[in-house]
Amino acid sequence: MVLILGGVGAGKGAYVRSLGFTDAQLSEDAFDACPVLVHLDRVLRRGEDAPLEALLKKEFVLCAEVGSGVIPLERADRAYREAVGRLCVQLAKEATAVVRVVAGIPVAIKGELPCKSR
Amino acid sequence: MMILLTGGAANGKSTFGESLCMRFSGPRFYLAAMRPYGEEGEARVRRHRKLRAGKGFTTIERYTDYASLVLPARGTALLECIANLTANEMFDERGNMHDPVDCVLSGVDALAAQCERLIVITNDVGSDGVPYSTETTAYIEAIGRINAALAARADTVCELVAGIPVVLKGELPQ
Repeated sequence: MVLILGGVGAGKGAYVRSLGFTDAQLSEDAFDACPVLVHLDRVLRRGEDAPLEALLKKEFVLCAEVGSGVIPLERADRAYREAVGRLCVQLAKEATAVVRVVAGIPVAIKGELPCKSR
Repeated sequence: MMILLTGGAANGKSTFGESLCMRFSGPRFYLAAMRPYGEEGEARVRRHRKLRAGKGFTTIERYTDYASLVLPARGTALLECIANLTANEMFDERGNMHDPVDCVLSGVDALAAQCERLIVITNDVGSDGVPYSTETTAYIEAIGRINAALAARADTVCELVAGIPVVLKGELPQ
């Protein structure tokens, strides 16, 4: 599993499509057969289940970084931010590579940038 | 030597900061700047205490005025964290606002002079693009200025991203 991180709108989806994945291969469901899970942050925001074991079976997991603001006033927002951050730490530990997309530029922060294989 | 660790919330800054301290022998001090408010604050303190358990840290809880803190020995100190310290220096208990920048920086300078190694944890709080009140905006700007000044002083600056240290300046000790 390769983890792709970056701010909202930074180009994570465009990057994974540039590797050859089609829209039909992208989903927001941790349990389906699609190779790419997009918007893990939204999955958690909706309160849906996204266990580590299921995510590790995906080829790519995309998640927005959501922790770089002031501490949210609402308890639920704080818990959400913690949950996204902690899950990404666990995913990064298990991932073969971690890519951070900054203004559309993929930066490998663990392992090497994946090759276009499709 | 001073190492600055930055990054967003829940990115593994504390865990990594502690692991850095463990690379060095000698006394270890954990300088806790967070005032634990309510059940959530206490839970956070419990979580951090559990992370540090058995690692030989002496914990010093200090919410303001690091410039006058005297450490009992020279060693390795981990200061956590600048966002809390800045809030404590900026908003006093009577609700008055002060410019925290000089106070925080002179506090860190005083600590650095008393340590072999000082590891400072800060936060990236200015990247959510949400409009805030005048007070909160001033707080975000103060942290930004403090972070830049600390990064200029630091030998090593490192951002934690999903637990991965991304070195921005200098290099990490072996």
